[in-house]
Amino acid sequence: MHIHELNPWRTLIALSAFVVLLIIGFLTMQKPLMAYQLTMDESIRELTESELYFYPWDLEAVIAKEADTIILFDIRDRFVFGQGHIPGAENLSANDLTKEENIERLEELKEKGFTVVLYGQDELQGNGPLMLFRQVGFSNVKLLLGGYNYYFQHKDDLYSTVDDDGYLKGFARFDYAEMAAPKEGALNSGAEKKEVQVQRREKTNVAAGGC
Amino acid sequence: MNRNYIFLTLLMLVLAVGTVFLTMDDEPNQVDPEILLQEIIQPTRYVSTDQVAKMIIQGDPSLMLIDVRSEDDFQGYSLPHSINIPLDSLLTADNLSYFGIPGTKVVFVSDDDIRADQMWVLTKRLGYKGTYVMRGGLNCWMQTIIEPKQPSDDASYADMETYSFRKGAQIYFTGAEEETSDDSKVEVQVQKREKTNVALGGC
Repeated sequence: MHIHELNPWRTLIALSAFVVLLIIGFLTMQKPLMAYQLTMDESIRELTESELYFYPWDLEAVIAKEADTIILFDIRDRFVFGQGHIPGAENLSANDLTKEENIERLEELKEKGFTVVLYGQDELQGNGPLMLFRQVGFSNVKLLLGGYNYYFQHKDDLYSTVDDDGYLKGFARFDYAEMAAPKEGALNSGAEKKEVQVQRREKTNVAAGGC
Repeated sequence: MNRNYIFLTLLMLVLAVGTVFLTMDDEPNQVDPEILLQEIIQPTRYVSTDQVAKMIIQGDPSLMLIDVRSEDDFQGYSLPHSINIPLDSLLTADNLSYFGIPGTKVVFVSDDDIRADQMWVLTKRLGYKGTYVMRGGLNCWMQTIIEPKQPSDDASYADMETYSFRKGAQIYFTGAEEETSDDSKVEVQVQKREKTNVALGGC
């Protein structure tokens, strides 16, 4: 005969203590700062959407303070920011992006319906932060195409960049195959050189193997 | 039998069934967003076209070039020994098996660096290490390796050195191009792995 059977209440008391403990645990569990809102599939699909990007000529309205729901964030470091930045931009250097207060700030801006436009020195610098913020659910974050470099080159006439493709990425600017094809007249000598090259590579391997 | 035990058993069963639903919507093996963001803001993932050219010429066995452009573009031109994984077909098990091999350096290549960088972020989220981005992509490759510009006469010694390396690389790549452009992917792969083994054994 078990001791519990002598006092059935004891089991119930232990059980309710256990449940209370679980509930306390869940309530006090720290919420992670960010969590993925998009799956891998969704993240890949989103990359093809044009609403991820902010075009250089759209800056005119921001600089003229006509677009009051758009906030520019400069993610370069403070020193470079001090040397020159887009008028009206705030500095939020990349190294501080993970700070809790900045993430909370972004959340606040999202709730208030602001659009946040990030820019770095070039598009590449802002690409990673854009992708991450999108993946954790900041659907109001965009990236300035061309970055600060492109803005700086065209700041006197941003409207004219509508017809320019200098800031666009993701396509071939040359005919690769033609450019890299063996040059005329060098065809035969090229074939001879090929063999020499192959030998050289073998040598490198032998050396590497011997250490 | 005591009623309490029946009650407890039922409770445990309910909880056990509950755990099944808990794990179902979790995508496995993903890096915490905060850690991912910290890695994203480091510029250590970029390699220059010169570095890639050097590795190809020296036959670096740990180098694995992954071209993230579309299949058509890849057929038109690709770097020697590169493998084609278009960005939108990254998530197939076949393609994912190229990543996370210890000791390999995976370098992503695209027209410029944005698509390659996007691929980098995605693979980083999946937790793969040893991935890099070729800065400037193929457009920069054409300008620096295939048609290098001669520096002015008063350029620094380092610039002259770079130029003479690029001239050599130009001959290597424009000469050897035809031979390697349409290699089947699998063959290249096998060669590389063997080399890695030889190198490891030698040391």
